[in-house]
Amino acid sequence: MEKKLSEMDFDEEGTVKEIEETLRKQVAGMGIREGKNIRMATKQPIKGPVVVEVDESLTSLGLGVAEKIVVEVG
Amino acid sequence: MPLSVDERWNLIEKISKQTVEFGARKHTLKDAIAELTVKPLTGIPVAIAVLYGIWSFFVDFAGTLFTDGFMVRLFDEHWLPFLQNAFHNNLDNWAYRLFIDAGHIENGVLVASDNCLEAFGVLTSGFFVPFGVVLWAVLAFYLMFALLEDVGYLPRLAVLVDTVLHKIGLHGYAIVPTFLSLGCNVPGVTATRALETRKQRFLMITLLSVFVPCGAQIGIMQDLVPELMGWIFLTLAIGYLGFGFILNKIVPGKSPEIIMDVPPYRMPMMKNIVSKLWVRTSRFLLVAVPFVLLGCLIVGLMYLTGAMDWLATVLGPFLMSWFGVPEETVSPLIAGFLRKDLAVGMLGGLMEQGIMTTFQVFTSVVLLCIYFPCLATFALMLKEENWKEFLGSIASLVAMVLVYGGLIHLVGIMLEVA
Amino acid sequence: MKILLMGHPNVGKSVFFNRLTGAKVFESNYPGTTVDFTKGWMRFGGEDVELIDVPGAFSLEPKDRAEEVAVKMLEENRDSVVICVLDASKVERGLYLALEIIERGYPVVVALNMWDVAEDKNIRIDVEKLERILGVPVVPTIAISGEGFKELVSKIKEAAPVKIEKIIENAGGVESAAVSG
Repeated sequence: MEKKLSEMDFDEEGTVKEIEETLRKQVAGMGIREGKNIRMATKQPIKGPVVVEVDESLTSLGLGVAEKIVVEVG
Repeated sequence: MPLSVDERWNLIEKISKQTVEFGARKHTLKDAIAELTVKPLTGIPVAIAVLYGIWSFFVDFAGTLFTDGFMVRLFDEHWLPFLQNAFHNNLDNWAYRLFIDAGHIENGVLVASDNCLEAFGVLTSGFFVPFGVVLWAVLAFYLMFALLEDVGYLPRLAVLVDTVLHKIGLHGYAIVPTFLSLGCNVPGVTATRALETRKQRFLMITLLSVFVPCGAQIGIMQDLVPELMGWIFLTLAIGYLGFGFILNKIVPGKSPEIIMDVPPYRMPMMKNIVSKLWVRTSRFLLVAVPFVLLGCLIVGLMYLTGAMDWLATVLGPFLMSWFGVPEETVSPLIAGFLRKDLAVGMLGGLMEQGIMTTFQVFTSVVLLCIYFPCLATFALMLKEENWKEFLGSIASLVAMVLVYGGLIHLVGIMLEVA
Repeated sequence: MKILLMGHPNVGKSVFFNRLTGAKVFESNYPGTTVDFTKGWMRFGGEDVELIDVPGAFSLEPKDRAEEVAVKMLEENRDSVVICVLDASKVERGLYLALEIIERGYPVVVALNMWDVAEDKNIRIDVEKLERILGVPVVPTIAISGEGFKELVSKIKEAAPVKIEKIIENAGGVESAAVSG
């Protein structure tokens, strides 16, 4: 099932399916790329940022940024 | 030929497959802590504990141990009496009043001061404020900041506060300039350079210069009115968030969302911390000390020439009716243009003479925080912002001081404490 | 010639910098955008060479001000050798930046820093093979203890620009623009 990264639940894992073109280059250097395993490490309340884990590195993304990433979850 | 993002990653994966071997991955305690401190349910209590720890250290180390335990005694019991005796308590001499002891009126008679806050000479208050109080406060603060920075805690704090700060047009990352400003506004304003858009920088600089008191000021406030500190911080925080929210709506421009690496924790290195502490503290002294001395001199001259009395008469009625503070606060407000710590020190002198109610003390201290950034910060704002932004900052500053100062007075009247 | 020190934030770049330079260190502001950076001098080949600590960046596609400055500094110092400091325990992410710099035609030396952390995490890197594929010197280092620094400095002169096509060839070719699964 596909969903937006922003919609993933706490501790849910998935595979990055699609990243909006403008964002792709910005997050590529941090290891977030299509085909990668991604885990939702934390979600902050009241539309705060999310923290995701890729390759054992934690990255914080604003919720609006997380909406631009599509994830395939099991 | 540059590769596309996908081509580059494909190449890296190919290289990595041939050269890197990932052994069994074990989750360590460090990994667990790394995550727990950024999760809201566990992270927020930890953040509060950390901030409270910093505050306690600040109060105990700087306030109780160095200032009260050592410096106050050194300055009030030795340095001041030494100078007073050496120059025969010559209150009739203008140079004596300017450099050693301005004295104060008690029952209609000019009498000698018994502490370095009231004396207000260049050689007494001028040295007591920066070296007796402020240096220790700033040192304690920068030590804590360098530790948090080197351990890698700041990015986690940034994530936790991003929720709130994004609503006022800033990043969680804005916690760094805000935090630095609590030491001294000058490096705080400089740190806004890391923010992305001009709008974010403008918002941050304006809010910093108005609502974030510097370590110097906090140190001396804690020394004078420890019982009011909670209320003062609450009032400033409400102002920071409230006016931030309004400015974010008014100011045009973009507030991009956060994309930030959250690094693992590390052991801080002593050498790194010491060198940071040295650089930051010495820079602070270079900025602060000349201004404090100059401030003492100017305020002293204004008293001697009668300019201060004249200003007090002219501005007094406005201060009394709008903000509800007595005309005597004119002199600290003038000194505050140069140095806030010096100004709060002068308020301390007024308090000891017993001419202000507690609420008036509270209002004056808050007013001193917000009414004008100190000269050093002001000069830096001129440098960092373009003309339009600078005028915008000043206009917002004036509006915020009038509205917020008036509002505090109003609340005071309604609570019947003003 | 200048030497630029580049790498991700938090890979121990400042410790690296302090080890390579003497006591003379200057903090400066980058004109125009003004994010702080540091420069100093290091002894290299019998002379003093300027070493610049470029602000930390994840890639040369800037996503914040510090990265903008990093890119500008790189572009303004075309005649530099770049020491690219990677976190050995996150080597893939680090290679992304290293490749970007190589693609732009700079001579690069790769430092696999925090080598001890990688070992603790059971990550083994075949340094010689990596060196062969990339065609640039690769040196494991531990900045906090100073391990690997002599070798690193001695290898600066071996750094030379490498064509990315050559690296692709060495790695065994790459299907262009295909998304890996």
